[in-house]
Amino acid sequence: MADVGHPVAPELIEDTSSPKTPMQWRTPRTLSLDNTNYPLFLRDRSMSQRILNGIVALCLMAVLPPGDTWAAENPSEDLVQMIVKLIGDSDKEFRAAGLDKLRTSAKGAAATQQFTSMLKKLDPQGQVALLNALADRGDASARSSILELISSSKDDSVRAAGIAALGNLGSAADLPFLIKSLAAASNIEQAAAKQSLIKIAGESVSPALALESKSASPAVRATLIEVLATRRASEEGPTFVAAAIDDNGQVRSAAMNALGQIGRPEQLAAMLAGVLKAAKGGERDSAERNVVSVCTRIDNQDQRATKLIEALNTIPVSDRDELLSLVGRVGGKKLIDFVADIAFGNDSARRKLGIDALSKWPDASVADKLLEIVNKASDPAERNQAFQGYVKIGATRDNRNDKQRLDRMKDAMKAAKTPEEQTLVINRTRTSYDVDAVRFMLPYLDQPPFAQATCETIVEIAHHREVRDPNKAEFDKILDKVIEVTKDPVVVDRAQRYKRGETWERPKK
Amino acid sequence: MLDTAFDALKTFDWGSDLAALAPIEDAATASHGKPEARQDLENRLITALKGILTRDAQDYICRKLANVGTAAAVPALAGLLVNKGNSHMSRFALEQIPAPEAASALRDVLPKVNGDLKVGVISSIGARRDRVAVDALSGLLADSDASVARAATLALGAIGSAESVTALQTALRAAGDRRQTIIDAILSCAESLLANNQIANASSIYKAFTDESQPRLVRLAATRGLLACASQPAVRSI
Repeated sequence: MADVGHPVAPELIEDTSSPKTPMQWRTPRTLSLDNTNYPLFLRDRSMSQRILNGIVALCLMAVLPPGDTWAAENPSEDLVQMIVKLIGDSDKEFRAAGLDKLRTSAKGAAATQQFTSMLKKLDPQGQVALLNALADRGDASARSSILELISSSKDDSVRAAGIAALGNLGSAADLPFLIKSLAAASNIEQAAAKQSLIKIAGESVSPALALESKSASPAVRATLIEVLATRRASEEGPTFVAAAIDDNGQVRSAAMNALGQIGRPEQLAAMLAGVLKAAKGGERDSAERNVVSVCTRIDNQDQRATKLIEALNTIPVSDRDELLSLVGRVGGKKLIDFVADIAFGNDSARRKLGIDALSKWPDASVADKLLEIVNKASDPAERNQAFQGYVKIGATRDNRNDKQRLDRMKDAMKAAKTPEEQTLVINRTRTSYDVDAVRFMLPYLDQPPFAQATCETIVEIAHHREVRDPNKAEFDKILDKVIEVTKDPVVVDRAQRYKRGETWERPKK
Repeated sequence: MLDTAFDALKTFDWGSDLAALAPIEDAATASHGKPEARQDLENRLITALKGILTRDAQDYICRKLANVGTAAAVPALAGLLVNKGNSHMSRFALEQIPAPEAASALRDVLPKVNGDLKVGVISSIGARRDRVAVDALSGLLADSDASVARAATLALGAIGSAESVTALQTALRAAGDRRQTIIDAILSCAESLLANNQIANASSIYKAFTDESQPRLVRLAATRGLLACASQPAVRSI
């Protein structure tokens, strides 16, 4: 009390304080003390003055009325009034100062009501800022005022900010409104509603959203499924499983994505049904990747294969071939023979599917199988398919070293029969960051059909300083040759930079 | 090892191999929590500082004394304060040595230096938040050297005591084109007062600067300060 009653420095501030300006945040109690004429710092250090201040303050406490009058005069109320005044300021930075405090200070529903009373007095930009701050403040007593503003405002951004605030301040009771807002005319309201549905707290929220996702329009259903996935509502798995085979592609994709994010191995069989239901092309590709995501969450490679085989066994035999591509993406030793048997089988249609699956393998463990097909295939189309797969798999930057990748490229070059196949190998050799890869490329630099691709591969390998620097003299000589041969100014620039020890920044696509 | 390092220190420059001085670094680290070892190292550094050394070697020693120095190191460091080449490194050490003798040395040298050296000493006094120096600094607020006056203003702002505020307020009346610097310093004082829970004092300062006649950024800073004051539990609990 003595501190508040402290006669703070009218003298101290006399130079800057305009006599015309009222001390609008000063209470009458402190004013009476400010009017004393003692020199400030004499008083500040004076024990007797401290005692006097304390006595005066205690006397004031005794005579001041209790209740609202007291509350209105207490400094907390001052803070609230300061914030209210600043919220209404036309200067953005002053307003921000008030909003900043509103977020973290002056707690309590009474203060919140005073802040929300400002909502209708502000311009739309101010309303948005205040709504955002109220959301951060987290006091649910602001909810009814916010709902009122949403229903009365004609400004999209204000309504969107109000909807977004409900994510923090709303409850399950707001779900119908928020779900309805998912189909609002304005995109920002839709986005705000989605974010609020993701954030809104309550045990009953996810089950309610899952229930709604069964009957709403397809676009809303898809959004609700996305919301549930982001909420990590794995207990709503049956909803996703059912939606994964829905007739609507948007709903199916959302459900498969949700399962990809939070699905469990037990749901693999249902996901395979979703893959089969997915339209060929982008949707099928995405569905397969989601299955791979779930499989990847099984740490043990053999268990992963076992779970996938179990799931495959639930699918009618006639449909299983369609899933071979997916099997290839999952990979694993246990599945190699299963797929290779098909790729080497008698049925040419199934052989194609088998080769396709081997070509999608996540690592090079199937490379020998593909090379065998390249060397033995009688059908040129099958051979070409296998060759492309072999070069792709052989060049994959998996857990093999650069020498092993280069060896695969050397084998591929031996097997290549056409300039196109040789060019493919030259292009893929750039994934082997090794000086031997550059040496392997050298003969093709002198062959016009391959010279350009070879130059590009050489500069790609030279880009890696750790390969280039220990072999600088050799690289400089080769890069000189590249500069002489290539017609591409970018390749020339890169070669010159690497010779100078500089780097090169790949242009963003 | 340590002897060899001190030998190497005599001819040290920042281009030479720092590994030669590693034993000194190690000794400084190892002496943590061991007063005797620390005192021994400090004595060796002081002795070295008094000897014939390169400028970089003196620089190096000042850096070490900033970490391990006590009142015992102050006279040797104070001797460098008037030296244009090493005054700054001496101040670097004196700013960090907690002993009051270090503050005293900075105050004592203040009338003996001019120009940049004076500005530096004033800054170090401010960095130490030396309340005893407020009177001396107040006398420099109207110094004919604008750099000195500005440094004194900022130092008083850094000290942040009620006495600093009084001096700054007095200077503000005749501030002229230095008005903005003085206001900055007064607002710094208000921050210090607020941090020390002298909320009413801080609040009054801030209130004075919310006046419409003040520049916008000053009003904004003062408003933020007022909000901070009003948010203090001590105020709210009244």
